[in-house]
Amino acid sequence: MSEIAGKLFTWVNTRLPIANTFERHLSKHPVPSKVNFWYLFGALAAVTLIIQIVTGIWLIMPYSNTEEQAFSSIEYIMRDVDYGWVIRYMHTTGASLFFAVVYLHMFRGLLYGSYQKPKELVWIFGCTIYLAMMAEGFLGYVLPYGQMSYWGAQVIISLFGAIPYIGESLELWVRGDYYISGITVSRFFALHVVALPLVLIALVFLHLVALHEVGAGNPEGVDIEEYLDDDGVPLDSVPFFPYKVLNALVAIGVFMTVFSIIMFFFPEGGGYFIEMANFQEANPLVTPDHIAPVWYYAPFYTMLRAIPDPLGGLIVMAAAVAIFFVVPWLDKSKVASIRYKGIYSKIAITLFGVSFLTLGYLGTVGVTEIRKTMSVVCTIIYFSYFLLMPIYTKYENTLEVPKRL
Amino acid sequence: MMQQKLILKINYLIFLLFFFSAIQAAEGGPCKDYGECDKFKYSLNDIESLQRGASTYINYCYGCHSLKYSRWGRVAKDLQIPEDIFFENLVFDNSIKPGDLMVGAMPSESADWFGVMPPDLTLVSRYKGDDWIYSYLRAYYEDSSKQYGVNNLVYPGTAMPNVLLTLQGNQKLVCKDIPIIASNGGEQRDNNGDTVYKEKCGFLEVEEGTGELSKKEFDNLIYDLTNFLVYVGEPIKATRERIGWYVVFYFLIFTALSLLLYREFHKDYNS
Repeated sequence: MSEIAGKLFTWVNTRLPIANTFERHLSKHPVPSKVNFWYLFGALAAVTLIIQIVTGIWLIMPYSNTEEQAFSSIEYIMRDVDYGWVIRYMHTTGASLFFAVVYLHMFRGLLYGSYQKPKELVWIFGCTIYLAMMAEGFLGYVLPYGQMSYWGAQVIISLFGAIPYIGESLELWVRGDYYISGITVSRFFALHVVALPLVLIALVFLHLVALHEVGAGNPEGVDIEEYLDDDGVPLDSVPFFPYKVLNALVAIGVFMTVFSIIMFFFPEGGGYFIEMANFQEANPLVTPDHIAPVWYYAPFYTMLRAIPDPLGGLIVMAAAVAIFFVVPWLDKSKVASIRYKGIYSKIAITLFGVSFLTLGYLGTVGVTEIRKTMSVVCTIIYFSYFLLMPIYTKYENTLEVPKRL
Repeated sequence: MMQQKLILKINYLIFLLFFFSAIQAAEGGPCKDYGECDKFKYSLNDIESLQRGASTYINYCYGCHSLKYSRWGRVAKDLQIPEDIFFENLVFDNSIKPGDLMVGAMPSESADWFGVMPPDLTLVSRYKGDDWIYSYLRAYYEDSSKQYGVNNLVYPGTAMPNVLLTLQGNQKLVCKDIPIIASNGGEQRDNNGDTVYKEKCGFLEVEEGTGELSKKEFDNLIYDLTNFLVYVGEPIKATRERIGWYVVFYFLIFTALSLLLYREFHKDYNS
């Protein structure tokens, strides 16, 4: 029996690089031996992506992408499809937690300089993934065709109208109708389930290939390639499989515990994961009391609102995402990790974190005078973090980075 | 060094906490003139409460408000009512089958009667919240300026008449003398040691003897009705919360085992 299996394996392996790939990317792929919990969110993002794809496929089966049935088909899934509620809540919880882990993953990148040479492309692919996720999340949010789906889409699509000259025709082209209708829903459905997932998977593949080429970082910012053993393997590394896989397994256990607590006990996430207004079918004649985006877009929504002019707001919002792409060239520091950077960098990243969270909070609540001022202040802090980076990273005193991990 | 770092981190967290509580401002609640909504705690395992709620709903509400995402047979099954008894007592149309949706009994032109079409209530507990329903149905009061002679503190200007008026009785807005609370938290007293009162208005009070039910009985009726609406908003809710414990328990075991495995392998390169 084992002889046959061995022969079969050899037959396949001479035609498909199974053993090679396994060794190169898993069993012999060197990763830094000492990292902290911040380095686990990438694996969790991958897990969430898989959850979203699998549950998504099952949701497509009973979902109906028509104006008349979109909303009721969701209730059909929740009530009449066997375990449809499990699939649907996994998808909604997964969407929010996907953003949560990706935000933490990105913040890790900023903390430990995971974008510095030669990791620029890994970072850029990552930023593109985030951009695609934002689009994917928005499109998916429209599909249940609840009140917030409708009015959220109304606000977001009308942003295109703020673009000079082509704005209005672009808006019409995106929407496919003069107002949001079944046509919009069915095209968003196509984009959400086919186009963007393909883009996302391709980008994740590139993100990982580029990462494996340049090697994973560590919280010390030490280049482990400097000290190699006789076989050319970094001394401060361990093989990815099984060591890091087991490390990730613990993280997955903790993550799935949190995931299931939310999914089974707080699936609406207090109105942040599934908004209450979205349990009402879309009604073009009634505007909800207060239109708020889901929490993961909230910081950018606040920036949009902070600027009185629609075009200005759109530019600021787009710039807030776009600026991530150039971070590798904004950081002039000699060291990668926040541990060895100077006090200016530490203050800057703290202020950045606080302003980002504040912007997020402000995006989920109504506008008052004081909040308006705060959104402007936080938007300025947000951009200052990036725009002043070339200065404060260059002229601060950094600490000596150790040679070994 | 270690301790200093910890103190620094704690200070940092306290700073964040203050920062966020500082920008949190009070907003008008969903229960409007009623003030804070009354808290409602559902009990979906109390099948009898759900049965009473279903019966109240079908007798008093279903005439106008459909439950169009819910099916008759599913309600009977979940509420453990034998189908023959359920259909005999709660379904008034012989052509209805267990698999049918509860699409309501209102003709579509009925919008003219109330100015608006009475909304479907399958998901009302999810978009309004159970606290809101529980408060709303108990917040009607006499107001002769309105079309049906009633108004509502939770939903001022509501288009719905008080369908449960005969049960609840005539509820009015009254004024009361209430003790003033002093800055030390106790009741404020004058020089003679007597409590100081101040007149405050906006209290709901039922005229005695006008309703078929006592206040407590009526509150219980609304409790059951709200409980039923919570059930019908998400029929799987009780099951979901029951299964949830097993899943969470499974992942806790999973985490513990993977942690042990990780530590065992960790010894290979960290000894």
